[in-house]
Amino acid sequence: MTAVRPGLAGEAPGLHGLLSELGRDAAAGDGPVVTVSVAGPDLEAAVRRLAAFPGARLADVFASGGNPAIRGDHVVLRLVWGLDSDQRYLVTDSVIEGERYPQLSDIAPAAFHEECEIYEQFGIRPEGGKPLNRVALPPQSGPGPALPRLGRAPAEPPAEVHAPHVVGGHAFEFPFGPVRQVGVESLYYGLVTSGEEIVDLYLFTWHKHRGVEWRMRGRTPREALFHVERTEGLGAVGAGWAFAAAAEAALGVDPPGQAMRARAVALELERLYNHAAATAALCQSTGLAVGQAAAEIALERLLRLNAAAFGHRYLFGVVDIGGVRRGPDATALRRELPGAYGELRHAADALLATNSFVDRLEATGILTQEAARRLGIVGPVARATGLATDVRADHPAEPYAGCPLAVAGAQSGDVLARFQVMLAEAAESVRLIGEFLQAGAGPGLTESPEGIAGRAGRSGLGWAESSRGEALAWVALDGSGRITRARLRPASVRNWRGFDDACRSQNVFTDIPIIEASFWLTVAGTSR
Amino acid sequence: MPLWFARGLRRGVVTTRYPARPDPSAAELPTPPAFRPDALTRELADRLCRVCPSWALTRNGDVLIFDVGACTACGRCREAAPAAVTASGEFELAATDPAHLVKRIPLLGEGAR
Amino acid sequence: MNPASAAADSGKPAPEASPALVASTAHEASTAETADALRHSVSRQFGRSLHIRTLDTGSCAACEQEIRLLTAPHYDLHRLGFFFTPAPRHADLLMVTGPMIRAFDIAARKTYQAMPGPKLVVATGACALGGVYQPDAFTHGTVGETLPVDVWIPGCPPSPLALLHGLLVAVDRLAAKVRDLTFTRNGGDR
Repeated sequence: MTAVRPGLAGEAPGLHGLLSELGRDAAAGDGPVVTVSVAGPDLEAAVRRLAAFPGARLADVFASGGNPAIRGDHVVLRLVWGLDSDQRYLVTDSVIEGERYPQLSDIAPAAFHEECEIYEQFGIRPEGGKPLNRVALPPQSGPGPALPRLGRAPAEPPAEVHAPHVVGGHAFEFPFGPVRQVGVESLYYGLVTSGEEIVDLYLFTWHKHRGVEWRMRGRTPREALFHVERTEGLGAVGAGWAFAAAAEAALGVDPPGQAMRARAVALELERLYNHAAATAALCQSTGLAVGQAAAEIALERLLRLNAAAFGHRYLFGVVDIGGVRRGPDATALRRELPGAYGELRHAADALLATNSFVDRLEATGILTQEAARRLGIVGPVARATGLATDVRADHPAEPYAGCPLAVAGAQSGDVLARFQVMLAEAAESVRLIGEFLQAGAGPGLTESPEGIAGRAGRSGLGWAESSRGEALAWVALDGSGRITRARLRPASVRNWRGFDDACRSQNVFTDIPIIEASFWLTVAGTSR
Repeated sequence: MPLWFARGLRRGVVTTRYPARPDPSAAELPTPPAFRPDALTRELADRLCRVCPSWALTRNGDVLIFDVGACTACGRCREAAPAAVTASGEFELAATDPAHLVKRIPLLGEGAR
Repeated sequence: MNPASAAADSGKPAPEASPALVASTAHEASTAETADALRHSVSRQFGRSLHIRTLDTGSCAACEQEIRLLTAPHYDLHRLGFFFTPAPRHADLLMVTGPMIRAFDIAARKTYQAMPGPKLVVATGACALGGVYQPDAFTHGTVGETLPVDVWIPGCPPSPLALLHGLLVAVDRLAAKVRDLTFTRNGGDR
């Protein structure tokens, strides 16, 4: 099964050439993250150049600065590019002096969601007047103070335009949510339908906006980590690792090897339980109660294993700045993991042998490889379309560096493909856990929290392959080590836009929960 | 279908007997802290209040006020002062009155005994 | 200085059992008793079975996962007579997670008002009980500011066992014990 890099396959003409075009020389000692300043007027050309670079993908766009209370505090627009073939991230930063910056989403469509978010938080917008949607903050619901922004509030609220639909017969739009089925998060769908078929589906993801990035300012990284874990609780290790790595890069701190292996054990356990939960949700959405029960038995055993190994069912409080606070109980893991994973494996085997189940999954919710690349999709959803994107392999940090990893993949991009990718990843996770335990995984901090507290830092980028895909974080620290800007980008931010795409065309209402289970995202991860 | 039925029979019942019987898995759950009043000085109490990320601890004179409802059992207070703070082991914490969740822990005062 | 701390300042050790915050007037005491009596009478009406609707006001999704596990084989909520229902009209108990994001107030009230009486509200998880989020421009920080809460379940997230305990307390089938817990330990104890 061949897999394709998100950019173009073929030889990379050289990072050095690219960087010197951008006006910066790559130093020999450059680490996995290269930062380049690009002047505002040069930004459009730089974006075109980077979008055409083989193996490059635009991983995130965000802004900082723009404090209206500080005169001359211009907004700095940052683009994070994954140069996956070169195993590097490239961060460009550009000072934007006015209210406009070059249109990014025409060149890299993956940036549209972030352009909308930047407009709501900083009041600056791309050239060209394309209408921007409301993606981040809820509308003002009455008199009283406006919601605080990271920068300056926009002059006009976002336009909220969705693509016009033309369909034979009558189409009507029906709002669904934010209070939905029992036991699922609040989320609003605008469903456009002519009866049963889904003509269009768009999401309002701002109901759960808690202002996490706003709240992290002024905190120390260790204090902020508590909130990072609770931004998306089902991705606490992924988000926590990305954030801790960003803070460690900013502080110049290197966690000890055994702590990094402990982090990886926790991350793989998180992947395992999420994939088990997705399996249970798939069974529930297809009405297979027995399969659901079997998957839930596996899930519960995995959560109890997390509690036995790391002291918390959802692995909160494991990652720390500079290492891990608690190491795994290797004895408990070795004893319990085979049985817990065995439950999942047996349930999955039985499910794949159950035709009535597989029939519901095949050709449902197809996301094409072209759409996945265009929208910047990450994680198992992307891998199921044939894109070989996995930061454990593309941007290997300890302990994945030098560790052979089988990146799961499929071709058809439907629900069945996503399910099969998750199962393959679960098997690989069990193998990885065994290897990390073998090499020694334990608690440890490179320096005590007191040693790190108060140390001046600069800025840093961190990443981790969470169960949903690439989780990114970027942090800037002031002279006393407190956060001036923290950016959290869980994988859910990227992948919900693929959900709209996957639901359209040839799918009916009852397919929506099936597709949602196969994506297995969280609303909390995007609405934060 | 016979496939699932046979497997289910082989595995047996996994359902907890709770509340009729205690469930052994409860022993591995994180729980809110228990404090040793005879080890809590004002200074230590203030340090614990600063360390708590969830605003569950505040000091009022010689009383440490502990809001069990706000506690996430994250363990940072325990790590900061292991001699004075241990895990309570309690997970059946539901209350019908929020006031029942606010605990007043006496500190070692000025004239400590 | 809070006058309630005067007893501690005097050097006398505070009593081991933690009393509720002292009701300063007889009126407040009788209001609390009346609320309790009302909840007991509501619980009796539910007999051995009731239906639960959940409501997410801004959680991190971990509480929802623990709630979903209540119907899983390890916990099997149905054996205790509890069932989930998506329709507020059929629901007797509203299980609320999250710190009550202000923009969610209207949806929360509509869900509550759509439930016919008698009904109970159970605030679930530290976010809903005033932890994790302080009241600010985005969130109330606690569910109690928008909805009348009958039972409060601590935890982050509360495990399914803790949720079972809380639901049984809500219908008077288990006694709440946290009132009598002191969260103190003497030197030499475990």
